[in-house]
Amino acid sequence: MGMSDTPTADVTFAEAIRCALEDAMREDESIVLLGQDIASGFPFGATRELAASFGDERVRDTPISEAATMGCGIGAAMMGVRTVVEVDFAGFLLLGLDQLVNNAAKLRYMSGGQLRVPLLVRVGQGPLGAFAAQHSQAQHAWLASVPGLALCAPSDAQDAYTQLRWALRQRDPVVFAEDMRLYRRKGPLVRDLAGAGVSRAGDSHLPAAPAAAGDATHNGVPLARVLRPGRDATVLCFGFGTALALAAATDLAGEGVELEIVDLRLLSPLDGQTIGESSRHTGRVLCLGDDPLLGGITATLAATVDHVAHGAVVGRLGARHWPTPFGSAEAFVYPAQESVAGAVRQLLAWPAAGEAQIAHGDFQLAGAQVRPDTQVRPAREREP
Amino acid sequence: MKTAAELYARMALIRNFEQAAYRAYERGELEGTVHASIGQEAVAVGVATALADSDKMLSHHRGHGHALAKGVNPKRLMAELFGRADGVCGGKGGSMHIADVKCGFLGSLAVVGSSIPLAVGVALAARRAGEDTVCAVFFGDGGVNQGVLYEAMNLAAIWKLGVIFVCENNAYAITTPAAKATAGEGIELRAQAFGLSALRVDGQDVEAVAGATRTLVAEARAAQPGLLECLTYRFLGHSRADPAHGRYRTREEVERWQGRDPLAVLAANADLDTDTCMRLEAQAQAQVHEAIEFARASPRPTFAELDRDVWG
Repeated sequence: MGMSDTPTADVTFAEAIRCALEDAMREDESIVLLGQDIASGFPFGATRELAASFGDERVRDTPISEAATMGCGIGAAMMGVRTVVEVDFAGFLLLGLDQLVNNAAKLRYMSGGQLRVPLLVRVGQGPLGAFAAQHSQAQHAWLASVPGLALCAPSDAQDAYTQLRWALRQRDPVVFAEDMRLYRRKGPLVRDLAGAGVSRAGDSHLPAAPAAAGDATHNGVPLARVLRPGRDATVLCFGFGTALALAAATDLAGEGVELEIVDLRLLSPLDGQTIGESSRHTGRVLCLGDDPLLGGITATLAATVDHVAHGAVVGRLGARHWPTPFGSAEAFVYPAQESVAGAVRQLLAWPAAGEAQIAHGDFQLAGAQVRPDTQVRPAREREP
Repeated sequence: MKTAAELYARMALIRNFEQAAYRAYERGELEGTVHASIGQEAVAVGVATALADSDKMLSHHRGHGHALAKGVNPKRLMAELFGRADGVCGGKGGSMHIADVKCGFLGSLAVVGSSIPLAVGVALAARRAGEDTVCAVFFGDGGVNQGVLYEAMNLAAIWKLGVIFVCENNAYAITTPAAKATAGEGIELRAQAFGLSALRVDGQDVEAVAGATRTLVAEARAAQPGLLECLTYRFLGHSRADPAHGRYRTREEVERWQGRDPLAVLAANADLDTDTCMRLEAQAQAQVHEAIEFARASPRPTFAELDRDVWG
């Protein structure tokens, strides 16, 4: 595998995305970015300085017209221009959803394979911190349920980079769900300047990306990965949830609990094989998501575990079924480190399947478990 | 440039094709629904004849005529309407989702107005490739009230892209008359407000449509987007579920428009004699007969074919 560069200093998740866009744009001259304020890199810095490097023909600021921007991205992609549409916040994606769902996802199928839509949609997901209900929401289950779209949900800087490079080699539309709580988190990054850098090349149970000419390593799909091995229980997680689960695993290790952390990475297609291996290994599985339990992504994860590891004890932890309230009260809605650890303790206390009626259950986010901060953080930490 | 006889032949093909599709639907050979453009053939043929083969076209749910005008093979189009494997989209798109990329017919899409912004992207891709090809996108007087039209016109204007927005104003959005649905003085003025070149034309006169389109195509190749409003009328109901008259249109109104049949208008304007018209009509009938036989003989797509082209 041609990791041709040495590790850089730790970079933020947003900077890793910027690096991936930059490296991909150098490799593939067809790539065009479309979005609001992308030339300036507002608001998260993920496109900062790209306009200076690649010009305003390739880094195109758009009007506030999500539907037309998405449609324009699709039309250009159909004609072989690989387009990246940036939508800053989940709430704004809804304005482009007709184009994404009715056109991007279906054109290849409806045209009998004549049209391909190499479109990548970058969209913020989850809470940002005090931006309230419309900016802060999670749409993973909706997006994963659309045939014709793939859904990436990276969990750290390197993963964001690797998945984005992979996504920008696909010939079909990919939604790149960027957990907004990760943008400022730092991690090590190895840039892949030779166009390699993918995991488990050639796995056959997921669709393979078309190989770029002369480089077989392009075939890899970013499959789920075991970030921390353990024997007592599995946490299926993605995005910021993976960071929470890793932190909870450290807490629980002090109690003698060995937690296995499976970072899902792609939510569509879903890596049932890795989910099955870990679930059968530990026999107890916590499915962690940021959307509500009713219809949320954890429902699909739990059903997948039941299918691939029948008899496993399965629990779900998701968001409270509320619109996100304003301010630090958002902490009442989304899982936090304490609620993940608490859910795992409950999961471990349950009888095994066959010994009791209840082998599946949903965990509530107890208000007492997740108190909102009473300290208001400095503005420079809160603003995008 | 096509001769009058060639324009007549293409319009006669569309007319006969849709009549045959309609009858096939009535016989139960064709599933789903059929949105016929009978009466509007001059718009499709007039616009298409002003485009080069390398130019692109996008359409809507009433798009058989546009497809045939752009050169889609009638046999493979009919097979698509029949949901057969030899259909232009392998039988997976059906009447409302037609594409034939090699003809530059990039797609008819069924959500009103949703193909409009794609045209902006197609034109952007042409710009990136250093080509001066243009993309014409059709919508109706119903599509005029979709917000994405104005987003797309704005984008085409600020980026100076080769898009021609073609409004087929057939006066009704299913049952709702345009006058009850659209405020102000119409789409032509709205387009001018965005800085587009805008023309209004008699949509029953194929030569007039072609002439106006040529003007807009020349400008679009020079990075000036335009809009063409074609005043036309669908002679049949909206779809098979809707009668031609009696509910929201009077018989008198329908008959008045049928008196301006685009085939007859062209024959009169271009002095095509009756023998010529009958010969072209017979040719069209033969082509359509062949298309129906081809569609009937084609198998349905297999499960494996239906399972293909989802993702990856």
